[in-house]
Amino acid sequence: MTLGSKIGKAILYIVLVALALYTLMPVAFLVVNSFKSQADIIRNPLALPSAFTLDYLSNAFETIQFPKALGITVGLTVMSLVLIVLVSSFAGWAITRHKSKLSTAVYMMFVAAMLIPFQAVMYPLLNLFGAVGLKNITGLSIMYTGFGLSMSVFLYSGFFKSVPLSIEEAALIDGAGIMQIFFRIVFPLVRSTTVTVIVLNGMWIWNDYLLPFMALGTSSTRTLVLELYYARMLSGQFGNPWELIFPAVLISVLPMVIVFLCLQKYFVKGVSEGAVKT
Amino acid sequence: MNKYYKKWFLPMVLPAILFFTFVIGIPFIIGIIYSFTGWRGTYFAGGDHFWESFVGFENYIKAFQSDKFINSLIYTTMFTVVAVIAINIVALAFALMLGSIKRGVGPFRTIFFMPNMLGGLAMGYVWQFIFEVVYTELIFSPDGIFHVEFMRYMLQNQTQALFAMVIMTVWQSAGYMMLIYIGGLNSISGDLYEAASIDGAGPVRKFFKVTLPLLMPSITVVLFLTLANSFKMLDINVALTGGDFNTRLVALQILRVIRDTSPPNYGMAQAESVIFFVIVAAIALLQVSLTRKREVEM
Repeated sequence: MTLGSKIGKAILYIVLVALALYTLMPVAFLVVNSFKSQADIIRNPLALPSAFTLDYLSNAFETIQFPKALGITVGLTVMSLVLIVLVSSFAGWAITRHKSKLSTAVYMMFVAAMLIPFQAVMYPLLNLFGAVGLKNITGLSIMYTGFGLSMSVFLYSGFFKSVPLSIEEAALIDGAGIMQIFFRIVFPLVRSTTVTVIVLNGMWIWNDYLLPFMALGTSSTRTLVLELYYARMLSGQFGNPWELIFPAVLISVLPMVIVFLCLQKYFVKGVSEGAVKT
Repeated sequence: MNKYYKKWFLPMVLPAILFFTFVIGIPFIIGIIYSFTGWRGTYFAGGDHFWESFVGFENYIKAFQSDKFINSLIYTTMFTVVAVIAINIVALAFALMLGSIKRGVGPFRTIFFMPNMLGGLAMGYVWQFIFEVVYTELIFSPDGIFHVEFMRYMLQNQTQALFAMVIMTVWQSAGYMMLIYIGGLNSISGDLYEAASIDGAGPVRKFFKVTLPLLMPSITVVLFLTLANSFKMLDINVALTGGDFNTRLVALQILRVIRDTSPPNYGMAQAESVIFFVIVAAIALLQVSLTRKREVEM
């Protein structure tokens, strides 16, 4: 290695470290200021807390009703993901295996629906769901399934094309039923697509603000994001109560950070493979 | 076997069709119909049913005459242009840098991607603090690290707020797009670079003659995603400015029509969302057709 290229490498690493620090800066702020009083935060936002106290965190923990909101968010996300995975893998498989005008039409319908922005259906959708008493968590997970389907059907049907028919044929000859063929043979083969579908939909559902806001509104059933929004709204009439907002944000993003750090290889795979197929 | 699949086609695809119909299909059609009526959310102006309340194109005319709506369309377009360019450059730079080092790729990748996991609304509050206090009073103030007046009070002026939103959007989504670019770069065979070296191409020439053309599929995907995401941006807008100082993007504008009008004019909101849909769909179709052409040429 020549001296020139060594210096180049060193500069590259310095730039990367600087960018990494810049990326982490807001998170560092968030952590540091979650242990400080309002006055301390405003006066000296960069400093470490003068005394270690969990008061602000526990206050935020209560204000956003963390255990309840976490339970609701987890329940909603899991329920929606299970529905999306089941419904879209069924449909993707059926569309790929059966070729007809009808199946092409169904496929095109799902692809075209990706063009419809949420705002275009928002008000009538809520009106409709309100009329049948579904402005609640169940209704929300149905809505997420409807919105998540298009892309997921698209991803699944793309991948099913590369799964050979012969295994399914053999299973059928051995007398397996449709559900057995699907869950025992087909579904395990498309595991990587399932990971992509879960990651892409999960990130969106967990952090979504608009749909819970519109569907749950001021009811006492609130997701984490919604709790955070109201905590800020209700106490923010006289300037921003940073000593509440910072710890509340920290608590509300923590579960996702933990999930991400534990399963990051799946996230990376999910995002890159989702892009290749679209 | 074909017969077997044919028999099971409908039962397998039916749940998806049902979800689709109730969540997107029916509301979409109702939405278009209601955009031509005097819909007020809970009732119809001028009758008990929507067919007694048709107003023709009145809602559309009102929408196009509304300064707020026109302003939000222009503002969203400007935001989208700046954000798409910025995200693409940063994401590609991240990917190229990580591609040319051997040690530490994993941690850097994790750090750059992480902001994506943190919700836009939640981190928007933190960024609001950074713009209002840290940028304004510490880093860019006259007695700060270096004085840049443009970077101070960014959320209190339409132009500066646009760049504030771009700064946060780049921070949040560059890492995600970087992953897609890394995937694209990895699929370019090393032989091509070797061949280019033998032919005497320098690094700059290699980038423009080998990397960039072969990266076209990834660039298309990233362009499409960033374009759509920026045009539909909502949570960062809500958290940073809440639409004050004429900083409403279209998505927020459609939400706020209800509050701006009394009684709430849902018909007009619906007209604005139909216009929004037409624009989003047009952008996407244009993008797809342009890509097709390019792929044929290659």
